[in-house]
Amino acid sequence: MVNTNTSPVRFPGRLTGRTAFFIALPVLLAVLFLDTVIPTESSVVSPYLKHILMMWMTYSTLTLSLNIVTGYTGQTSLGHAAFFGFGAFTSAVLTTVYHVPFWVAFLVAGLVTALFAIPLGAPALRIRGHFLVVVTYGFGEVLRYIALNTDALGGTSGIPGVPAPSFFWSFNDIGRSGKEAYILAGFLLLTGVAYFVSRMENSPTGLAFAAIREDEVAAGAMGVNPSYYKLLAFSLAGLFAGFAGSLHASYLTFVSSDLLGSYQSILILTMVVVGGTRSIAGSILGAGIVVVAPEVLKYLKELLHLPFDPWLLMYGLLLVIMMRVRPDGILGADNARKAGRRR
Amino acid sequence: MVFLQQVVNGIALGGIYSLIAIGWTTVFGIIGMINWTHGEIFMIGAFTGYFLITKFHFTLMPALLVAMVVSGIAAVLVDRLAYRPLRKKGSPRLALFITALGASTFLRYSASTLWQPHARAYPAVMDMKVITLFAFHGQRITMNNLQLAIFLITIVIMVGLQFFITRTRTGKAMLAASQDFETVGLMGVEAENLVTVTFMISGVLGGAAGVLVGTLYAIDPLMGALAGLKGWAVAVIGGVGSISGSMVSGVMLGILENLTSGYISTGFKDAIGFIIMMLTLLMWPQGLMGSKVEDKV
Repeated sequence: MVNTNTSPVRFPGRLTGRTAFFIALPVLLAVLFLDTVIPTESSVVSPYLKHILMMWMTYSTLTLSLNIVTGYTGQTSLGHAAFFGFGAFTSAVLTTVYHVPFWVAFLVAGLVTALFAIPLGAPALRIRGHFLVVVTYGFGEVLRYIALNTDALGGTSGIPGVPAPSFFWSFNDIGRSGKEAYILAGFLLLTGVAYFVSRMENSPTGLAFAAIREDEVAAGAMGVNPSYYKLLAFSLAGLFAGFAGSLHASYLTFVSSDLLGSYQSILILTMVVVGGTRSIAGSILGAGIVVVAPEVLKYLKELLHLPFDPWLLMYGLLLVIMMRVRPDGILGADNARKAGRRR
Repeated sequence: MVFLQQVVNGIALGGIYSLIAIGWTTVFGIIGMINWTHGEIFMIGAFTGYFLITKFHFTLMPALLVAMVVSGIAAVLVDRLAYRPLRKKGSPRLALFITALGASTFLRYSASTLWQPHARAYPAVMDMKVITLFAFHGQRITMNNLQLAIFLITIVIMVGLQFFITRTRTGKAMLAASQDFETVGLMGVEAENLVTVTFMISGVLGGAAGVLVGTLYAIDPLMGALAGLKGWAVAVIGGVGSISGSMVSGVMLGILENLTSGYISTGFKDAIGFIIMMLTLLMWPQGLMGSKVEDKV
């Protein structure tokens, strides 16, 4: 282990992952439950802000899981929404059709998505770079067509009425807006994934991922089996994205084929790229920016009476500018110099 | 008979796919990047043609030619503004790709803001006539004159391109560059000029495809996303870098899409291209007519 940082999660400055967690948890609890404990006329934090908070948790988890594949292992995937949607659909079908309890469906959704990630990862064994991007993109799109055209999966209208999880009480009955328990669950899931990734970074597996990212042929020569580790990376990403998808399905009480689409995949890749490849704090920051920016711009749009949504224009420009200024993202591991040499 | 008719119906659309695919494949062959904005260049071509025909009352051929030039210039501008600065810095290809993704989103939604997102159709560009290709036991295989014209225009453009690449000095330099870009630079060819020419050609072909699609189907500012991807799928199926491969597989995809909507389900019409592309990459990664690229350490 070259890195002798005492705490595995490295945040900028001296803020370690553990400290961040212990600061974030009480703040989050206060924000969520203040208006439940002290009944006020109007809620302290509006349900709208709580919804954004939940989206931030979900997308942070997705960004971190894509970072395992794209950041750590160096396999760019534009099909990550396929995992997310697959987890959401698995959970929705299990709970609505087979009436399986949410927590069982949650576990199954994660595990099934992890298995399902293997065929999506399989092309990465034979092709790489640009071709892999397009194949993963095609994979997501094909899945979307399948969901759109299969009546058992809700077809064009999606599956409504996905039941809420319960933890002593139903999630919908906890807190004032009914979103609080989901946000906490999302936060715990995110923390779990962040902890996993931080432990993975310098583990033998993480080093194998790094070897493949830097030079696949050399990694093979050093005794790292690229096929095994690539599939492992995809599978881990699938596991976490499946969990996120399952929670998301119950939170929205509804799944539709839009979850699988390329727009979602591009959005998640944007979060990785903007926040920073191979950075846990960067992933959370990137997801935060991409989740919050459209809302701020929507507000601006209404304020200035703009005839169009500026986010869609900004979003493209953001990618172009990021690549020009900081190709590794805001908090990304600085490897522009190294990467310039290869690929 | 129904089967044959479906095949004939797919040919015109297939020719257009080939045009889009050649636009992808030439750029990939020279600078080795997936020019994700190609679908948007195609959309710009379609809209230029639309405005020329509706607002300025151009007939089909002049509108086609002007739209080709406009798209060509648009493609060169995208290269100058978005890609070239990164190439100069020697950024990794992933950075180039994500730039292309961003530029494509930007162009798509700019067009949607500027021209409103609704779909619109070209006015009739020629009097429709149904031509009987051949008759057999009282059943006929037909094609309308628009489809025939589209197919002929496609073929003329492809023959022109083939001539340009194999017979002119610039074309030969492009061929050489697609084999080894750096060495061509060392041989005294101004590499950046070559890239400009390549983007110009790619844009011209995309623009032509846009106008031709417009004569057949409704157009909207987001049309580039799916069409562009199908073009890339065709380029991959035919073998990236191979122009003849793109020609063949484009027509093949057009026909297969028609057969899919006729015999399986219209819902899967757009998915069939991706499915074939993925199978191709898994089984013959070099495509039907591509050459194998060796890994270099």
